[in-house]
Amino acid sequence: MKYRLLALLAVISLIAAACGSGDADTTTTAVSGGDDGGTADVIDIDFWVAFSDEARLGFAEDAATAFNANHSDYNIKVTSFASYNDAFDAAVLAVDSGEPPALIHFFEAATRQALDAVDEAGNPIFKSVTEAIGGRSEILGEPVVLDDVVSAARNYYTVDGSFYSMPWNTSSTVMFNNMDILNEAGITEPPATWADVEAACEAIAALPDGPSGCITWPNHSWFVEQSMGQVGELLANADNGRSGRATEVYLESDGMLDYLNWWKSLSDAGYYTYTGLQRDWDGTSNAYIAGEVAMLIYSSSDTTFFDENTDFTNVASFMPRNGDVPYVGNLIGGATIWMLDGMDSATEDGALAFMNFFSNPENAAAWHQLTGYIPITQAAVDLLEAEGWYEESPNSKVASDQLAAAANTPASLGALLGNFVGIRDIITIAIEDILVNDLDVATRIAAANEEANKSLSEYEQLFGG
Amino acid sequence: MMILGLVVAAILGVAYVQWKMDNPSVPRFGVASAAAVAGAAVTPIAMGQCGFAAEATGVDNLLAFGLMAVGAWLALIGVHALFDRADGRIKESSQMTGEIRGSGYRMGWWVPWLLLSPTLIILVVFLYYPAVKTFTLSTQLTRLGAPKSVEVCFGNFSELLITDPVKLVAYPLIALAAIYGAKLWITRSAPGTWSRRGADVASVAAMLSVFVAMYAMFSPGGGGQVAYRPVYINTIIISVGIVALGMAGGMAIAYLAFRNLRGGGIYRTLLIWPYAISPAVAGVLFFMIFDPTAGIFTHGLESWFGIDVPNYREHAVLAMAAIILASAWKILGYNILFYLAGLQTVPLEQIEAAIIDGASSWQRFRTIVLPAVSPITFFLLVTNLTYAFFEVYATIDFMTKGAPAGKTSVAIYEIIRVGVNSGDLGRGAAQSVLLFIAVIAVTLWQFRTSGSRVTYGGA
Repeated sequence: MKYRLLALLAVISLIAAACGSGDADTTTTAVSGGDDGGTADVIDIDFWVAFSDEARLGFAEDAATAFNANHSDYNIKVTSFASYNDAFDAAVLAVDSGEPPALIHFFEAATRQALDAVDEAGNPIFKSVTEAIGGRSEILGEPVVLDDVVSAARNYYTVDGSFYSMPWNTSSTVMFNNMDILNEAGITEPPATWADVEAACEAIAALPDGPSGCITWPNHSWFVEQSMGQVGELLANADNGRSGRATEVYLESDGMLDYLNWWKSLSDAGYYTYTGLQRDWDGTSNAYIAGEVAMLIYSSSDTTFFDENTDFTNVASFMPRNGDVPYVGNLIGGATIWMLDGMDSATEDGALAFMNFFSNPENAAAWHQLTGYIPITQAAVDLLEAEGWYEESPNSKVASDQLAAAANTPASLGALLGNFVGIRDIITIAIEDILVNDLDVATRIAAANEEANKSLSEYEQLFGG
Repeated sequence: MMILGLVVAAILGVAYVQWKMDNPSVPRFGVASAAAVAGAAVTPIAMGQCGFAAEATGVDNLLAFGLMAVGAWLALIGVHALFDRADGRIKESSQMTGEIRGSGYRMGWWVPWLLLSPTLIILVVFLYYPAVKTFTLSTQLTRLGAPKSVEVCFGNFSELLITDPVKLVAYPLIALAAIYGAKLWITRSAPGTWSRRGADVASVAAMLSVFVAMYAMFSPGGGGQVAYRPVYINTIIISVGIVALGMAGGMAIAYLAFRNLRGGGIYRTLLIWPYAISPAVAGVLFFMIFDPTAGIFTHGLESWFGIDVPNYREHAVLAMAAIILASAWKILGYNILFYLAGLQTVPLEQIEAAIIDGASSWQRFRTIVLPAVSPITFFLLVTNLTYAFFEVYATIDFMTKGAPAGKTSVAIYEIIRVGVNSGDLGRGAAQSVLLFIAVIAVTLWQFRTSGSRVTYGGA
């Protein structure tokens, strides 16, 4: 018995050690090329994707397979990462070790960081897609679609006059409304302004069998940034970092204080449900689907998901805004595909051809229908209109309409900021502190502003000038 | 200032030989003070004397002197061992090589090194090099992919501490004085008297004063400093909670499962299962159980008993309790496993004798079983504490992400949040160094205190 137990102990220790060290961060899916036998002339193109869910990663893998079938001399290899940061850090390290991917999927908030990233010799890691295309209208038989990208995305990702990366998943903030509850409370139209939301919540709270909460959205800095865009307030100097490098953030602006005070007042009144986690996309989405809240402010990326998974009348509307201030515009969110510098021309052309194939009208439309991310090119919009998609699912059009309604100003484009990921964390921690610990908005946000500015100035010390 | 430090090191070297060694002599005074000076000089030279630069603060000076002291001390320990060897107090070579030689093999000095080399290479590549790299990073402001980095000397450390160097020296000295005072009291009082009981209480209080002193040394935040006190408090509460619950629970369950039951083997196997689960999965499981909207626990209480359970992530106490529960549950299987093995070493004759003498089951447990498994307890104390310090990141990340407002953010969570998620490598490295020092200190302290009370049977 004694020895058996010891043997068991040894085995379990080994298994646990193996489980502990085998950090399954990445999985590689080798997508087989057109001809199975020939490997000598096939050029491998690594494409690192920061999605790990079956639907979105699967879409990328299917597109890679389709591309490989048409181009037998190329083999797109999709590798999945758990997050944008994981993929980016891995790419920076891979550049230094000499085995970088050709394409990497990276998110909008870190655009500045991607532009600033350099290898050990001090050369930029990424190459401008516009520059690499060099005015060609087709590459390896794939028509170039970059020029057709919708203006909201084009304007966001254009830095110093150059469109650096190829947009893929692009969304905006929309509100999803449980019309069954709203109608029961006597509200016939989705609330458009903050005052409308408050009135609706008041009516819903008065319902005898109403839900426990009224509205929720994730405590994610993206919603704060959206709100700044709506009222035309800059988040950072140098025109939100678009006319030069941003060196100072403005977290103490009137727009910010108004928004956070409104948020806190909703929370204090019991209308806003805080799930207790920062960046909690799942918890807020679950609360809406379960009917625990009547309204959910969320990313349009999940429009199709909500259409398919709600058993009530689900209607999407514009993100509610401050009715006392003229509307300027909402911004985009999402990610683009960045191309690494330093590849030979055959590999680079393959990568460019794949990117343009990936966002060709059929693929872009299918991607939109699968998720709710906006159709990224005008041709894809036309295709969807011709198919009658928008009559069939009107919720899917809301995000595009909202972006079309936005003025093209630095405020509504959103900020390009160094260390934006860290600054976003500073913002969400401050909001959590305000909501949970009932702190004064102005005092707490002043501390966050100081912290964010210190963080930004340190970033500029390393990367600026 | 550096010269001052080196002079002090030289004097310390002489003093060390005079008072700590058996054969003081003039050459030995010279060797020891030279070694102390060299040891003290390593860190300021490596860091370009930045701790004594014109713009350095009092805290920077203090940290620089502290590092010099550590360097001198390590050098003196080495010199001590060298002299002991010269005096023949330690055999020239280890017993192992002696045995091999005795059995007829002849080999060069390099053979042991050759045999050791695979291990040494692994240690150097995966342990020593990253450790040295961490120390270098901790003195820099740097990010992954940055074209340059800025030397910030002790900045990453001093921003975690209070700004008054006098207090920084005074607090640990007071705690140390309290410990030695309590020790002195214990030696001066006879066992069984009230004085001894008072001394026992005082020694516990003195140990607690170490924690209080450290609390006072960390910065409360504000004025450009990082609020590290809350992180320290969270780490203490959550780690102590995990270790206490995990070990007490493990012992209790192992003791119950050890009895001769029908199908006992199956129970024992099932009890070990949680250990095979990764901390991340434990986090997800407990997240699902306690989640305010979708959780089974909350839903059950609400629908069956009508109890409205508050969201655990919005209340510091509940959030900490949930983290402790999930982490202790995860380590429980490991503890049960070792206690089950340990319980087999409990001498049955003593138990039988105790039963004949009429000892109650609690008395038997307390006076026979617990001392018999004390080596296991000591081993588990070290491993559990290491687990509580290092492995809880995934559990916390899934359950609370540090919510509410950082109340469940422990040292390791802060390190990853700052160093990896925000990409601030220098600060992350500095906090790792801090945790590294804390773990070494706690382990040394455990070896000195618990170690002396552990009985390994036999003598």
